[in-house]
Amino acid sequence: MSIIVPILSDTRVSDRKELKDLKRDPLGQCSASPVADDNFHWTATILGPPDSPYQGGIFFLNINFPTDYPFKPPKVSFTTKIYHPNINTNGSICLDILRAQWSPALTISKVLLSICSLLTDPNPDDPLVPEIARIYKTDRPRYNKLANEWTKKYAINQQGN
Amino acid sequence: MAQSLEEDYIYSDDDDDDDADPNDYYGDECMEEDQEPVDEREPDPEHFDFKCLTVSEAKNFLDKQVQETCGKLKVDKRSAQVLLMAHGWIFSELEKRTEQDISNLLIEKGVRARNIPQVRKGGYVSSCSVCLQRKQPSDLKGLLCSHSFCKECWSKHFETLINNGIATDLQCMASDCHIGAPEEFVLSFLEEDSHRQKYQKFVFRDYIKSHYNLRFCPGADCSIVAYSEKPQSKRVDCIQCKTSFCFNCCGAYHAPTDCETVKKWLMKCADDSETANYISANTKDCPKCHACIEKNGGCNHMQCSRCKYDFCWVCMGDWKSHGTEYYECSRYKENPNIVNENAQVKAREALKKYLFYHGRWENHAKSLQLEAVTLANINKRIQEKVMKNEGTWIDWQYLLNAASLLAKCRYSLQYTYPYAYYLESGARKRLFEYQQAQLEAEIENLSWKIERAEKYQRGDLENQMAVAEKRRQTLFKDFFPT
Repeated sequence: MSIIVPILSDTRVSDRKELKDLKRDPLGQCSASPVADDNFHWTATILGPPDSPYQGGIFFLNINFPTDYPFKPPKVSFTTKIYHPNINTNGSICLDILRAQWSPALTISKVLLSICSLLTDPNPDDPLVPEIARIYKTDRPRYNKLANEWTKKYAINQQGN
Repeated sequence: MAQSLEEDYIYSDDDDDDDADPNDYYGDECMEEDQEPVDEREPDPEHFDFKCLTVSEAKNFLDKQVQETCGKLKVDKRSAQVLLMAHGWIFSELEKRTEQDISNLLIEKGVRARNIPQVRKGGYVSSCSVCLQRKQPSDLKGLLCSHSFCKECWSKHFETLINNGIATDLQCMASDCHIGAPEEFVLSFLEEDSHRQKYQKFVFRDYIKSHYNLRFCPGADCSIVAYSEKPQSKRVDCIQCKTSFCFNCCGAYHAPTDCETVKKWLMKCADDSETANYISANTKDCPKCHACIEKNGGCNHMQCSRCKYDFCWVCMGDWKSHGTEYYECSRYKENPNIVNENAQVKAREALKKYLFYHGRWENHAKSLQLEAVTLANINKRIQEKVMKNEGTWIDWQYLLNAASLLAKCRYSLQYTYPYAYYLESGARKRLFEYQQAQLEAEIENLSWKIERAEKYQRGDLENQMAVAEKRRQTLFKDFFPT
């Protein structure tokens, strides 16, 4: 995991603390760094959690910081296709802390960790893709199989875009 | 006051109705003598007690309620505000909850902290966990929960959320902390006047929106707040902007239809508007000489300017069949064999039914607009007559009264169509449609007479007004719940 230290440092986005937080991640499950010189546009990677059907996959994410970050939440979306009840084909994520439950005291590393735990424990009662939520609730083996197939197809040995 | 000319009015007693005969139901009714046909014995179904409050009156009203609650529950002002808001400002509801346990309720609503937190004593350098900058402990401020942040972050946090319209829901910045920020706390971080005003405006808005007895007037840029002791789906006329709205749903007044039905209807109209627009195009051909006719007045009694043929704009039939007997036009005849038909025919039948009602709904809405033009013309004509010394301005007032009564009746008639559309077939629907047809016929007569006011006696016109209003009230008494 490598972190490029950004050039600008007038906002918290590029502040060392936001990055230090990421370095502290004990499992090394997530990483994030700015894209080129644009401090408000980062990419992140999440490793599929070991106890989930996403195991072994490397998932790429886009992070866009609004200018009034951290008073407004960052926009986070998957660029790697993933089979999950709370993530749709556009990569949009249905996660409370990215919307109504956002708090300015949250950091990118906490957001990424929340997304990791969403991969381990989907929330089928508040689904973004109702069909996947239905399969998750009624036929768990089939969900595991499909999620694993998608992971193999899109998240292993693939380049993020 | 003018006396009504009873003999001019021929009450429909013809027994030509196909089934259950509503004429028997109303046959023995007689005309009111009075110009204002208000029946003292029965309550007016449209009657509604309300008061229009200005912003400061509404604020005083809220303050009084807060103070009373403070006294009764022995809590501070902030707790009283939050508790009242959470219970629609109905004290009896709030009392039910507080009798059991007030402190847990205050914790639940974010007024009090669950645990008495340990206050961090100053003396060492710490940082704000939002901007991650090092700050002197004295620069870090927080709520009861002891989560402290710097002044700049609090300001930006509040400003951002206030710009999104959030005011009474402002909370601590820490994640998963639901301690609410009191008004004084928020104001202490807002420096710009524009932000302070915006915040206070939104707080007031949140209070009114949560209040069981108060409603904002929906009129554009209107600041009036309507108050009613017993909120109902009844008409409120704003004293400032003259908007009439339903107290319950704050939409346009919609009697005799109820809030839910009218909402369903308007949604349906919005969905189907393209088709309906196409069907209810603005012009029609004269049924006799096929000249293209554009409707330029409110009355549905049309006379072709080329061939002088009198016909009804709604059904395009001969007007003669409408005049003396009851007005058939508002009645949609449902196909009795519908049950046996296939789905496609059913769908077509449903569309036909919808278009029938929607056409009439639209038509009356258009008539209302056109009659507003007629009203302007009446004003002009009165002005001319007064200038020519043909009576005083007061002498011609009855024309204006007639025009406003016409607008009121037609408005009610317009809103009978969604009601009829969703009414199930049966005796009640037949009665409704009978009354609706009666009302419609009288309204068209009135409209015709108003547009040609010079040709009709004042008494004749006023009699027609009384008849139309009586029809409207009869329908309301039977179909609009008090």
